[in-house]
Amino acid sequence: MKRNPALRDALFAAIVLILLLAIPMLHRSPAFEDFIIRLSAMALFATSLNLLVGTTGMVSFGHGMFYGFAAYAFGLTMQLTELSLPVAALFAVALTTIAALVVGAICVRLSTDYFAFITLAVQMLFFSVIVSWQSLTGGDQGLRGGIPRRRIFGFDLGSQLHLYQFCAIVAVLGLLALRHVSMSPFGNTLRMIRDNAERASFVGIVLWRARLLAFTIAGGFAGIGGVLAALFVSGAYPELADWPNSGQAIFAVMLGGINSFLGPVLGAMILLALNDLVQRFTEYHGLVLGIVILAFALGLRRGVLDFIHLVWSKRAR
Amino acid sequence: MNVEINHLTKSFGGVRAIDDVSLAFPSGSLSAVIGPNGAGKTTFFNLISGAFMADSGEVLLDREDILQLSKTERMRRGIGRAFQVASCFPTMTVRANLMAAVTAHAGRWTSLSHRFPSAGMRERAEEVMEFVGLTDVADVEATILSHGDQKLLDIAIALALEPKVLLLDEPTAGMGPDERWRMIERVRGLWERRKLTLIFIEHDMDIVFKVASSIRVLCYGKVLAEGTPDQIRNNQAVIDAYLGAEENAS
Amino acid sequence: MDFNALGACFTTPACVVTQATSGLIVGMLLFLVAAGLTLIFGVLKIVNFAHGTFYMLGGYVAYSAYVATDSYALAVLAGAVAMALFGVLFERVLMSRVYGSNVLMQLLVCYAVVLIFDDIVKIVWGPEFRAMGMPAAFQVPPLFIAGGVVPPFYAVLIGIAALIAIVLSLGLSRTRLGKTVRAAAVNPQMVSALGVNTTVLFAIVFAIGGGLAGLAGALAGPVRSLSPGMGFSILIEGFIVTVIGGMGSIAGAMVAALIIGLVRGFGTIGFPGFTDGLIYIVMIGILVLRPQGLFGRPL
Repeated sequence: MKRNPALRDALFAAIVLILLLAIPMLHRSPAFEDFIIRLSAMALFATSLNLLVGTTGMVSFGHGMFYGFAAYAFGLTMQLTELSLPVAALFAVALTTIAALVVGAICVRLSTDYFAFITLAVQMLFFSVIVSWQSLTGGDQGLRGGIPRRRIFGFDLGSQLHLYQFCAIVAVLGLLALRHVSMSPFGNTLRMIRDNAERASFVGIVLWRARLLAFTIAGGFAGIGGVLAALFVSGAYPELADWPNSGQAIFAVMLGGINSFLGPVLGAMILLALNDLVQRFTEYHGLVLGIVILAFALGLRRGVLDFIHLVWSKRAR
Repeated sequence: MNVEINHLTKSFGGVRAIDDVSLAFPSGSLSAVIGPNGAGKTTFFNLISGAFMADSGEVLLDREDILQLSKTERMRRGIGRAFQVASCFPTMTVRANLMAAVTAHAGRWTSLSHRFPSAGMRERAEEVMEFVGLTDVADVEATILSHGDQKLLDIAIALALEPKVLLLDEPTAGMGPDERWRMIERVRGLWERRKLTLIFIEHDMDIVFKVASSIRVLCYGKVLAEGTPDQIRNNQAVIDAYLGAEENAS
Repeated sequence: MDFNALGACFTTPACVVTQATSGLIVGMLLFLVAAGLTLIFGVLKIVNFAHGTFYMLGGYVAYSAYVATDSYALAVLAGAVAMALFGVLFERVLMSRVYGSNVLMQLLVCYAVVLIFDDIVKIVWGPEFRAMGMPAAFQVPPLFIAGGVVPPFYAVLIGIAALIAIVLSLGLSRTRLGKTVRAAAVNPQMVSALGVNTTVLFAIVFAIGGGLAGLAGALAGPVRSLSPGMGFSILIEGFIVTVIGGMGSIAGAMVAALIIGLVRGFGTIGFPGFTDGLIYIVMIGILVLRPQGLFGRPL
């Protein structure tokens, strides 16, 4: 198994998926299933962002745009056309990928800080368009009317159990695909750019092309997360494409660890659990969340998985 | 490969860093570029390798003008370079550094179809490591290599791209006397085995006079002199402008 | 989009004066916020995402001081001084621990502060909107300039902000501290090599930045209501101004703040409901054409 890391990752994914699918058969817990449904969208969103942040060293503040874009594209396609759910979902993700390509073409040539700000500005522009284009998007009320035709292949995505199964499958497969991207020669190219962009360009890598491709792929995978989000909120809301949502993904990435592939997934888990927990016990949930984040940032100084790796490798030495 | 530079000029904010420089480096030669600090030596390399675009002039590679090409394009035509401050990929091991370089050189850097490394890349990286003598530290992360090994890795990355012309910016920078000689012997060795056109910048005059078969002297962006070590040693302009000053200082 | 209304406004002096004045108010307050942001970025190369919190707290402190003393001048002073101190505290206790680490780590620390103080404001001042109200001294009939209505407080506010802009630019160009700050913005290594105590310098820069943001929050008291979370929108606009002007450039911040203010002032007539979008378009356009901003040094 060590010989073939691709097989090892696939096996790991299969085991996780089987476990996830087995749990509701042994014990039904609406709270747990709801958590996994939300986590599936968030995990894809955060991990795709980390392809930019951790792997390539591109700090995007506007990743939520693609999450929201896909949610609206999917919701609108379902409401306005007669396409079946999987076709509409693929269409929405494809459209989001194209959007990422266009936005990326404008943004990736800018250097670090300016890249962060221009991605933020493009996202805020998109947000403004959603809010003001009321006739199409429902403005700040969001896209209401729900998502029709939720039956596919015998799944009824209106039921929590089936939605849970669908989200688990999509998320695990999506993460596996992202893992493959990150471990491919292209993924290695992105690490070269992060490590030393000047040297990378002197071994024949065309920086903007590599960055644009990374941005496009990341946007597409954020789009898959956005489609899942649209399914569980039964529509689309401007908040999905708003700044704080991009912030959530950034915190998930930072809390979990930017140098570990599963870091953002862990971070998304921590953040969601923390939100739920704090909301239950106090109305001042920002205060508690803020203190916890401070403790992480100033105590560990890195994400949880990165911290574990560090301790581990120190012990091994 | 034959490198010929004609009337190369580059200004930064009105200051001529390289001023109408014309030089030729015959195929397979081993030449040193020397000159006082600020003479424009590194800028000269940057212009040949395409890190900066020149204002005017020609850079002929076997009679083909490459001045308008991007650095990536020039690299593909056979110009390799190593940097004054060793430049590699710090979070990767030596082996991974070289596999990364050969993968990029093979044009596989956007490949998504399989896992890194592509077939055959490991072997080619191995060859380069052996060639420069980095096999012992193959699995060490670049950031914790010794200074000398980092410089060597930088050169190895350049070699992995199979250059015809190799530009080395102070290969012995920051080294002690013994280490310098070991390094320059290695450089000389790889020049002999690879039949490269090798141009290096060097401050240590003992090394320059002993190793280089021909020398170019830059001063304030202009060519002050060129010739064999003996000619340069006895050139009055060079002695006045450069060697003399050096002796006074020390 | 309503180009007719916009055209009509531009041909009516009264409308131009009214919209320009409200645009100038926005621009001047933005300048005070952005000047601090750009100064901190220029010297420390740190993007202070907690800057909106300074603005918010400045407003609340001024509100309380005004309620206690009934003096607008004291209230403004209290807001500015309190935030200068808060800036130092913030820099020493929190930010100094994440210098040199990932930008996102700094963002995380700032965001935590934003979350914490939004809730502290809720606890201390309550979650509802608060308004200082127009101080009695300014409750006089408005001025009429070319038929346009200009409330006297607006004129005073613009005057104060302009005065501060002048003091700030004179301070930066004439005083020893100002010269050090400018030198540090260009070359931090050189400044520390010259024996300047960077620890003190950084704290001072945060004090100035915090003080300016607090001042803006306090000055805005009579024209804007206070609410927890109000720091966010001003932060975003502060960034826009900083980026358009060129990060690290005070003059750029002034010009960009006026541009954004005027786009807002006239945008409400030509593009009601889409003024935010308009501003983002301006920002994206400038970043694409001139990534370093209007007054920034080329990258």
